[in-house]
Amino acid sequence: MIRKPIPARWSLALGVLSVLLLLAAYTGLSLWQHHRNPDDTTIPTWSQLGAGVKQIIEPNARDGQRWLVADGKATLIRLFLGLLCGIAGGIVLGLLMGCYPVIEALLVPPLSLLAKEPPTAMLAVFFVLVGTDTEMYVAMIAFGILPTLSQTVYLGVREVPAELLDKASTLGASQLEIIWSIIARAIFPKIIDVVRLSIGPAMVYLIAAEMLVGDVGFGYRIRLHSRLLNMNVVYPYLAVLAAFGFALDYALRLLQRYCCPWYVSGEK
Amino acid sequence: MKRHCWEIALIAAIALLATLGLGEAFGAAAPTPSFSLAWSEYPSWSTFGVAHEIKLINGKKGALGPIEKKWGVDIELKEAEYDPCLVMYGSGKCDAACITNMDALNPSLTRPSVAILPNSTSFGADALIVTKDITDIKQLRGKKVYGLAKTVSEYCFVRNLELLGENEKDYVFTNMDPAAAALAMQQKQSGFDAIIVWNPFVLETLNRRKDVRVLFDSTSIPGEIIDMVVVAQASLDQPGGKAFALAVIDTYYAINQRLADPKTADETLIALGEKFSHLDLQSMRKVVKQTRFYSTPEEGLKILTSPSTQEIMKKVSAFCVSHEIVPKAPTIGFGDKTAAPNAAFRLDPTYIEEYLKQEKSK
Amino acid sequence: MSTPSLSSLSSAPSADSACPPEPDIVLECRDIHHWFGNKRVLHDINLRIVRGEIVGLVGPSGCGKSTLLRAIVGTHPPRKGVVLVRAAGQTSAYAVEGPGPDRGIVYQRYALFPFLTALENVALGPMLHQTTIPFRLLQYPSWRQLRRRHLDEAAAILVKLKLGDAMHQYPHQMSGGMCQRVAIAQTLIMKPEILLLDEPFGALDEATREELQRTLLTLYQENCAAKAAGLPPPAGTIIIVTHELTEALYVGDRVVGLSPYWDWKAEGFTSCPGAAIVYDKVARVYQPDEEKDYDSFVRQREEIRRVVFDSTYFPSRVENLTFWNDVRQGKGEGVLK
Repeated sequence: MIRKPIPARWSLALGVLSVLLLLAAYTGLSLWQHHRNPDDTTIPTWSQLGAGVKQIIEPNARDGQRWLVADGKATLIRLFLGLLCGIAGGIVLGLLMGCYPVIEALLVPPLSLLAKEPPTAMLAVFFVLVGTDTEMYVAMIAFGILPTLSQTVYLGVREVPAELLDKASTLGASQLEIIWSIIARAIFPKIIDVVRLSIGPAMVYLIAAEMLVGDVGFGYRIRLHSRLLNMNVVYPYLAVLAAFGFALDYALRLLQRYCCPWYVSGEK
Repeated sequence: MKRHCWEIALIAAIALLATLGLGEAFGAAAPTPSFSLAWSEYPSWSTFGVAHEIKLINGKKGALGPIEKKWGVDIELKEAEYDPCLVMYGSGKCDAACITNMDALNPSLTRPSVAILPNSTSFGADALIVTKDITDIKQLRGKKVYGLAKTVSEYCFVRNLELLGENEKDYVFTNMDPAAAALAMQQKQSGFDAIIVWNPFVLETLNRRKDVRVLFDSTSIPGEIIDMVVVAQASLDQPGGKAFALAVIDTYYAINQRLADPKTADETLIALGEKFSHLDLQSMRKVVKQTRFYSTPEEGLKILTSPSTQEIMKKVSAFCVSHEIVPKAPTIGFGDKTAAPNAAFRLDPTYIEEYLKQEKSK
Repeated sequence: MSTPSLSSLSSAPSADSACPPEPDIVLECRDIHHWFGNKRVLHDINLRIVRGEIVGLVGPSGCGKSTLLRAIVGTHPPRKGVVLVRAAGQTSAYAVEGPGPDRGIVYQRYALFPFLTALENVALGPMLHQTTIPFRLLQYPSWRQLRRRHLDEAAAILVKLKLGDAMHQYPHQMSGGMCQRVAIAQTLIMKPEILLLDEPFGALDEATREELQRTLLTLYQENCAAKAAGLPPPAGTIIIVTHELTEALYVGDRVVGLSPYWDWKAEGFTSCPGAAIVYDKVARVYQPDEEKDYDSFVRQREEIRRVVFDSTYFPSRVENLTFWNDVRQGKGEGVLK
């Protein structure tokens, strides 16, 4: 019985069923809450949620902005800039650490310490060091994901068999070519994996920072409307966040499958 | 044998859980009704935390301090940041909360609420701090003013603009957590020429950076920002609800008496300030001055019954509607339930009156 | 410490040799010593290899065969001594400084780059050797053209090694034998002077191993034919490290034995100074389609087993180094004729 495979149709049906059950449970919960208190906004009904969604996507009466567009733009720019810096820095540092023992000895101790420091706990430090503009969000995300990322890259580099590197040098590869054409390519799928894992933390750091200092963005809107108990605005925002994270993850998986057919099929 | 071990462990675990569950059930059946009060660190609200520390009440559920025994009710204290307090109260996770008159309006739309006890009013505790080169409010036109949006900070800012005859549209109120805004100003970060924050951030910023000053503060709008204890109507209607209200009132005035008594004043003040901020005694005296306590039942009654409070509530409600803090204006009532049966938010002096009557009859 | 008699034996015949044609030496290891910390690994290795040969290098496991190979490849230079290579048609040799395309290597494991198809793996060498990153990025059109030539060249070699159907497969999709074939193709495309095989077939099953051994013999046949026509050997010179004596005798025209069990006390050492070459003789040359004659192996195999592998027998270093004498006496076959 244990690990006995089930037909693919079944697993699809069960997956759909679990989502439906979740939705039904929510509907029940909100109906019950509204039975107890018809004016409730904390567990909004579907029609309340619909109104919330409308509020998010239609231009706001006071400032004429579409909240979702304005917040999405701000948050995405911060997230992507931060991810870009963090990933680029992490890859470069990881490659250097994996290739050159001097840099390894220099950087591994501080990075392994920093990797254990939750950046949300250091929010105030970031305010102090880089202010509260876009740089702060970018720095926070970048420093948040860089230690883990560079360590993973570094370990990945170390795992590349020495024979492959020796072989490349017998084929006439320069140092740069070994790093770029051999090591970087060999660990590329691992880099995608660790980037996928970094998106979650990056969003945590960003939302936490936006909750404190943002005047636009997902974190700002969620905190504001939590305080105002407009859960019909908060829940759609959470759903958008989840959908966005899922989509990004899926895109990266596709990229990995497309760019590294040898790795994905190698896993099987 | 191994399998039997498992079974025995399983049965033991179930038995243990059952015992605990039954104990809980019996515990809940105990005669003392229990009500929860959410509070955050603020001079006049920390009184409840101090009352727990000096054992006037016991804030843990199921444990009673002398005041709780006196009124026959169990007060459960839930300490949280201000935001979570609002959310907890609004979503019905606590019976009462320490919030401002302005922030009470939104939850009352879905959860009819009663203000039973005004604690204090901001009298300088909310302030617009600017750099030295700014001497006139007009210099701030088009510049960013940082503060927490849709809170008393924004209210204080907008009301002062009104009093100065300025148009709100000429100014850029920018959302930022007051702690972060104060930190940015203390660090002289560029662009942070004006922040509007509350205490302890006002005093901290003034203490740490000598080249800034207060352009205006809440002294120009006395009594408009009221810190109060708000209880859900449904909780008051439960058995023991009234006793809970009276016990909360009793606790508050008991601490105020200690503040008035020269023997215990400093020690209580320090206790109040301990978690609130690392301000010294001198600064704490200032804090208490800027957060003007309604320290006697008489003062409290005056606020709850005064016609000017009714005017203020109208003004605050209009502000909340125009700034989208509430989707619609709640009906605001004054007096007991019979006087305003349909009010979403009611300022009710009868609990303090009842407390006074019972105190005098002793 | 130096032993003049040894150098005269292991080195090329002098001018007064009875055998007139001067052997065409492609590789010379001169006075190579190597050690890791206190552990002495190689002692006074002197070895000269004739162009076009297949040399079977045998020895007990851990004796330093791979170390010697890496010293020749240049990725791990020896502590002492020098490796000299002489390109085809050149009169003077040059000392090896680091790895280069003139010496290819096939490892037992990790022979291929997992992220490249068979074809790309083979075409990698010309790319790394002939172009640079800036060229590939900045002169993309020219690079594209060149790349097409590389791929055609690689495809031709793969077809020759009977891998025409597997060109677009990734290493993990191919069998071990196919991978080693691709690895050989990968080095052959560089037209190396010397091809070093480090226990290349150790992880393969019997049938595959024999098939690959026959492949080597086919390459050797081409070398012999080229030599007869006065051309440089197309497959270069091959040194194959193996722990299989039969394999060394089957594919090699010469067997070299490396062993730590030699009579170092007689040379005045108090502890073993490292493995030395204790065996160097010609071996019979087989045709690829020729039936393996196990009986003919027996005598030489037993000899090697005793001289090289027996840890209780400590022969003198020089008594079994008869290769050059054998050649002089015309005992050599294939390219040694």
